[in-house]
Amino acid sequence: MTPSSRPSGLAALIRATPSLPWFLGALTLFTLLVTTLSEALGTGLVSTSFLKVLGMTLCFCLAALAMDLVWGYCGILSLGHMAFFGIGGYAIGMWLMYARTEAIVAESLANQLIPPTEAEIRDAIGAQIFGVVGASELPWIWGLAHALPLQLLMVVLVPGLLALVFGWLAFRSRVTGVYLSILTQAMTLALSLWLFQNDSGLRGNNGLSGLQNIPGFEALPQAQVALFFFWASALALGLGYLLFAWVVAGKMGGVIRAIRDDETRVRFLGYPVEGFKLFVFTLSAVVAGIAGALYYPQAGIINPGEIAPIASIYLAVWVAIGGRGRLYGAVLGAGFVSLVSTWFTGGGAPAIDLGIYRIDWVDWWLVLLGLSFVLVTLFAPKGLGGLVDLWTARQAPERHGSDLGPDEGALREPEAER
Amino acid sequence: MSTAHPKAQLLEVSGVSVSFDGFKAINNLSFSIGPAELRAVIGPNGAGKTTFMDIITGKTRPDAGRVIWGPRSQSLLALSEAQIARAGVGRKFQRPTVFEDQSVEDNLMMALKADRRPFRVLFWRPESRDRERIAELAETIGLAGMLGRRAGELSHGQKQWLEIGMLLAQDPQLLLVDEPAAGMTPAEREHTTALLRSLAEQHAIVVVEHDMEFVRRLGCKVTVLHEGAVLAEGSLDHVTRNQEVIDVYLGR
Amino acid sequence: MLRAFVLALALAFALPVAAQAQTPDLGAVLSENAEEIAKPSRRSVGPVIEALVASGAPGVAEFLARWQEREVYQRESDGRFVYIEDGRMVGVADGADLGAAPEDGLDQIRPNGGVRREIAGALVQFQLSAPDPAERRAALDAISSDMARDQIAPLEASIPGEELAALKARKTRLLDMLTARFGSDTEARTAAIARMSSGVSVELRGVLNQILEVEEGRGATLPPDANLARLRVPGSDLGIEAAYAELVKADLAPAPQSAEDLRQALAAHIEGGSVGGLPLARLSDPEARRAAYDALAAEGRVAPFVGPAEMMAAVEAHVFYALYEEPDAAVTTAAAEALAAVETRVALSEAVDISLDALSLASIYFLAAIGLAVTFGVMGVINMAHGEFIMMGAYTGYVVQQVIPDYTVSILVALPLAFAVTFAAGVAMERLVIRWLYHRPLETLLATFGISIALQQLAKNIFGTQARPFTAPDWLAGSMVISDVISISYIRIAIFVLGLLFLGLLLFILNRTRLGLEVRAVTQNPRMAASMGINPGRINMLTFGLGSGIAGIAGVAIGLYAQVTSEMGANYIVQSFMTVVVGGVGNVWGTLAGATLIGFFQKGIEWFNPSNTLAAQTYMILFIILFIQVRPRGIVALKGRAAGQ
Repeated sequence: MTPSSRPSGLAALIRATPSLPWFLGALTLFTLLVTTLSEALGTGLVSTSFLKVLGMTLCFCLAALAMDLVWGYCGILSLGHMAFFGIGGYAIGMWLMYARTEAIVAESLANQLIPPTEAEIRDAIGAQIFGVVGASELPWIWGLAHALPLQLLMVVLVPGLLALVFGWLAFRSRVTGVYLSILTQAMTLALSLWLFQNDSGLRGNNGLSGLQNIPGFEALPQAQVALFFFWASALALGLGYLLFAWVVAGKMGGVIRAIRDDETRVRFLGYPVEGFKLFVFTLSAVVAGIAGALYYPQAGIINPGEIAPIASIYLAVWVAIGGRGRLYGAVLGAGFVSLVSTWFTGGGAPAIDLGIYRIDWVDWWLVLLGLSFVLVTLFAPKGLGGLVDLWTARQAPERHGSDLGPDEGALREPEAER
Repeated sequence: MSTAHPKAQLLEVSGVSVSFDGFKAINNLSFSIGPAELRAVIGPNGAGKTTFMDIITGKTRPDAGRVIWGPRSQSLLALSEAQIARAGVGRKFQRPTVFEDQSVEDNLMMALKADRRPFRVLFWRPESRDRERIAELAETIGLAGMLGRRAGELSHGQKQWLEIGMLLAQDPQLLLVDEPAAGMTPAEREHTTALLRSLAEQHAIVVVEHDMEFVRRLGCKVTVLHEGAVLAEGSLDHVTRNQEVIDVYLGR
Repeated sequence: MLRAFVLALALAFALPVAAQAQTPDLGAVLSENAEEIAKPSRRSVGPVIEALVASGAPGVAEFLARWQEREVYQRESDGRFVYIEDGRMVGVADGADLGAAPEDGLDQIRPNGGVRREIAGALVQFQLSAPDPAERRAALDAISSDMARDQIAPLEASIPGEELAALKARKTRLLDMLTARFGSDTEARTAAIARMSSGVSVELRGVLNQILEVEEGRGATLPPDANLARLRVPGSDLGIEAAYAELVKADLAPAPQSAEDLRQALAAHIEGGSVGGLPLARLSDPEARRAAYDALAAEGRVAPFVGPAEMMAAVEAHVFYALYEEPDAAVTTAAAEALAAVETRVALSEAVDISLDALSLASIYFLAAIGLAVTFGVMGVINMAHGEFIMMGAYTGYVVQQVIPDYTVSILVALPLAFAVTFAAGVAMERLVIRWLYHRPLETLLATFGISIALQQLAKNIFGTQARPFTAPDWLAGSMVISDVISISYIRIAIFVLGLLFLGLLLFILNRTRLGLEVRAVTQNPRMAASMGINPGRINMLTFGLGSGIAGIAGVAIGLYAQVTSEMGANYIVQSFMTVVVGGVGNVWGTLAGATLIGFFQKGIEWFNPSNTLAAQTYMILFIILFIQVRPRGIVALKGRAAGQ
């Protein structure tokens, strides 16, 4: 093909990311299907609780997309992305909890002879929210909790700023590879330990709860609320996919993949590598924050345990099982593993009786997951996405995207060259 | 042709030293090159050729000395690798390092002179003159029909050419070329020699090479490095007559 | 037994007294106070005991001891006090044999707890000169736990006769404390206080603090002749509101109205939808509330409002001060100086103590991290399952202890066994998984993480979720006490020694053996090493086994003082990573430096903010992130070409 025949605009996007129309189509179909089966608008075959599970899974898929951008495309194995996810959840949870408590307090103060002052309302809200940790004052970080727009801004600002500051410090000092992974893990650990304290201002290990009750929509049945959130999650996932497809399609995608493959060389081409990494890291942190903000109203509760390092490692596991370096791989992995995990740990999988021992999957699922993860890493480094390759390989020989499998002897991650 | 250039030097390295754990890789080295000059740097293994390039491109920070660049006499020591590259120093590595996962076109596109800041790159889309420039470069390096191929699928020699193409796409003022002819057929060597000589009419080029025949064909001034310092400088014939150089190359 | 030494003690004490008084008669004192002795009550027994002690009669000590032990009986027929020995009655006063003890007709005298304490107090002075040092020590403990003025004389009297130097010194110190607190003349007290300023003990600080006890007061003027400790200045060391609250409490000012008081006062005066002329609807504004209240106050229906200005005026009109309860200014000055000197010394001792703690924490981190550092440094492989190897080591210890009940033997068996188990596990993991993933460190990290979660869950399935006991032998229990402030548990010393041992062993292996040579060769240049006939696969396998084996031993050590659970490894893994990262890769000394830095830093933060270990860890991690800024390659960094790109 000659260079001048290169298409532009949407066509270029689809050419660079052939999975885009397929993915968006499948997502739309899935959303329509679930809607027609839902309790609120359809046959009721999908229960509201399962609808929530599906909605939350979509949020995980979005977080996995963000993870794939930093890891699969830019080569930064962040073991801290669930921290951004959790921060998004905390940010929206603060408004949900504040607004709901405000309504309760207003109701209880309404029967008083003398109308309450603003300070009295604030104090009552503080006492209500922080009674469990033995405090009654609203900490300063709750200063914006009364305003939804401001708190929504926090959903993107706080993860973004944290990623920006942390990334600036880490990338500036040229921390790469395994070192960087461990540093991100340390950041997550620090954050979760800080949140575990009662005086962190976010209710310590109690976390924020009652988030499934959306202020202003109390009259609406949960079935409908759940459906709305499912739609919102699907929309966010679709938009996220589109955004990332656009980012990785152009020259930006080329540069960040080049950074993954040979950072030093990119530097000698004159690109400020740190700036690119920072951009990718921050963008994906923001998206992870948004995913978290959609997830936790469906989960109903958030506590510091959700931010523990292990959660972020699971995110990496999902992406690896799905196949990194391709957007649909991340979505496949997150969806598949988290749904299978729910099935196994929820008692859905039948126990296997060996006569001398009964394998109860609630206990053995993690062993299975751990070992299958090792097997995937060893024998199927392309993950589930590799299955797609088997199919497309017959049609189009040209592939766009990385595969750092063991068969690709020429391709090595830069830190392996040390 | 360029030895008698009266103009100020493009790059001036003076009194540079660097040591790794006590081993002096570069020892009080001084070197300079004009804005349109071809220079070959030769020397035995461990003479410090690669480290010398590392210092100019900012990969290694010297313990002492100065590296002055360009008409504004800017010190390169305060700049990062990327800043030095943007200032106009291009480098071709000994081992071809192209981005094997991406197409030849993408490799060239990435190297093409343009704003390198992240947000500019994010919104950058190729215009027709960029495409023309790439087609032209592909023609020069003999990869015109292979723009859509993955760079990883190229032969070793083609990768060398692609890397030279990327170097040209950057449009640097100074080209540091490490063993450009390695793995090339005699015809390709001929082509490379011609290319370097024609480039040298407008650019400063430093070629590090082992192959004496290739150096002879370049027909330029030669700098001999030994133990991190300049041992001799002059035409190839002049330096090959130098007893010290003979000792170093043939051993004592 | 008891009787024998009480007798001896009574003799020892009574002799000098007997020399002065002429034939004191225990019987007379007993019969004088017969009623009180037979039915003693805590309130009134004091004078009786005093009388008994004052009589100086030879049998007093024995009588007091046996009275306290409820071994004294009263014959109903004549009210005579007797002991019962071998079934026979013996007269208390004269030791006369009064015949076989009858079944009835004897009342056992049962002093209650309060009385027995009083008796014990009186007995102390006898015990101070008891022949058994343990008894004397007990007497000193009794005095120091409950100091009183009347202990000065007996204590002082017992010092010249004290033979044991340690006890003599303790008696002298105790006498100083008693004198400092209760002495009658200023000079003796200040001298005693001055002598005290060289110690650090808790009881000594207690005494000084008791002398310096203050009472806070307030009033229009300073009280005359008071021993002023300090003035409390409102606004600087005393909040205005707190100061005002004191005035209110002392009835020196009217009570202020809180926002809640204001609201209630308004609610109590609602008249037809308005208060004080303001409609209720407007009262959500604090200003309006205040206006309404002022209107009510103007009508005299509520107390006038006390606002900040009124509070300020009232506070300024009064003096706030703290007075020493001790009236003697010379004594309090001396005590304050002595306390300052003592506190400085205590702070220094605490620093030493913290350093010891930090050292032991550092050795734990070192043990936990060194295996990781070896595998990371040599192979460039991060083993996320390292924590689980630590856990395996600890569980090995637990299982061994189930089989071998002797704690000492079981630990001696557990250490090599844990090494063997984890060595085997490490080798198996290297052969089965890691060697296929060389040059792909991030994937190794994830694969080993998969192994980590599988192992952790496996341990949960086998051993359950609750903590398993792994007990240290008795000789490792307890602490080495250097002073009241400095002490360190033996188990921590043992871990420190173990850490040193492994440091030495590793240095020996790496620098003095063929294996070490080959390991270093593979670290620096695997290809070159391979061409020299070294089998890098074998070296990698052994190195990984070695690193894992050390983790197992660390597990035994950690299991001894922490809980053995399936999650214990996860608790150490991040710290271990940090240690390796801070220390620098591929160097035993680097790991040592990293462990030391992190151990000391963590203890240091805990010292500043002792209540909050969670925050301490947060700060530590932040510190490490910042540390990486300064030294990205760790404390002991490789330079030049060996450091790679």
